[in-house]
Amino acid sequence: MNKKKIITIILGIGIISLFIAYQIYNKPHVNVSDTKSDITITADQIINDFSSDETKANRSYLDKIIKISGVISELKVVKQKGIITLKTNHDFGSILCHLSDKASQKINSLKEGQTLTLKGICTGFLMDVILVKCEIIN
Amino acid sequence: MKIIYTILMCFLFVNVSNSQKQFLTKNGAITFFSSKTMADIKADNNQVLSIIDASNGKMAIIILMKSFMFKKALMQEHFNENYVESDLFPKATFKGEILNFETIKNSETKLEVKGSITIHGKRKEIIIPATFIRSENTIFVKGEFNLLLSDYNIKIPSIVSKKIAKELKVTFEFNHKPYKK
Repeated sequence: MNKKKIITIILGIGIISLFIAYQIYNKPHVNVSDTKSDITITADQIINDFSSDETKANRSYLDKIIKISGVISELKVVKQKGIITLKTNHDFGSILCHLSDKASQKINSLKEGQTLTLKGICTGFLMDVILVKCEIIN
Repeated sequence: MKIIYTILMCFLFVNVSNSQKQFLTKNGAITFFSSKTMADIKADNNQVLSIIDASNGKMAIIILMKSFMFKKALMQEHFNENYVESDLFPKATFKGEILNFETIKNSETKLEVKGSITIHGKRKEIIIPATFIRSENTIFVKGEFNLLLSDYNIKIPSIVSKKIAKELKVTFEFNHKPYKK
């Protein structure tokens, strides 16, 4: 009787830990639309931070969910994915927002010159500041 | 009057040649793939910056490591934290030259690109075969090659070394357009 109990307990722990391991292995990606943004900023401000000190900006913005607002300078769709360029006061740098699959479908309702707020994950700075998995807020 | 005309012509000429010189894309695609695992490892990056100088065939590519998107969040985390250490080395770069650049035609032209790749802070000389198509307003490039992780000081913990291939297959596709400010 006692032996049986112990075996049941061990088996139970085994199953639970397997389940947890499986959950960790299949951990989902951050859901941008459901997660509160870490930083709220304008297109001008973020490009200035990146062009003045990239290492510092990397530390404060990379992997963060950023709510960004700016004026649309270009809209395009590449391989069914929408890309929105936001204007900045910088000479050639702008903000490139790569939209999520869901947000890409709404790109037709947008116009160049319109002011827009987006939420996305910042992955870094090349010629432009790059945000991925963007969702359109308004 | 003649002087003004000459200046104007010069100005126009400079403008035209400038606008035709540089071709770039800000949304080039790079994918890497390895299948020697219990689960396939595959990651896409669609935010690659690639520039070709059409006057001499020089090519430069910059890649943000954090832009590689994996199917599993855990894999992406491990890739960034343990393998390429993207907080220390946020970018990978390629600098090189397209050999026989002037022979590119309006149909598929197979050429080689010679240069050096820097990943994880480590530089390595490489020759990559690629297919080019050039039309008036685009330079299209695609190709694939294998990349040895040990060349770039990327260590695989021994506990998972049987599951992770030491070589990755990398494919790339860039559609360059003339650069205008």
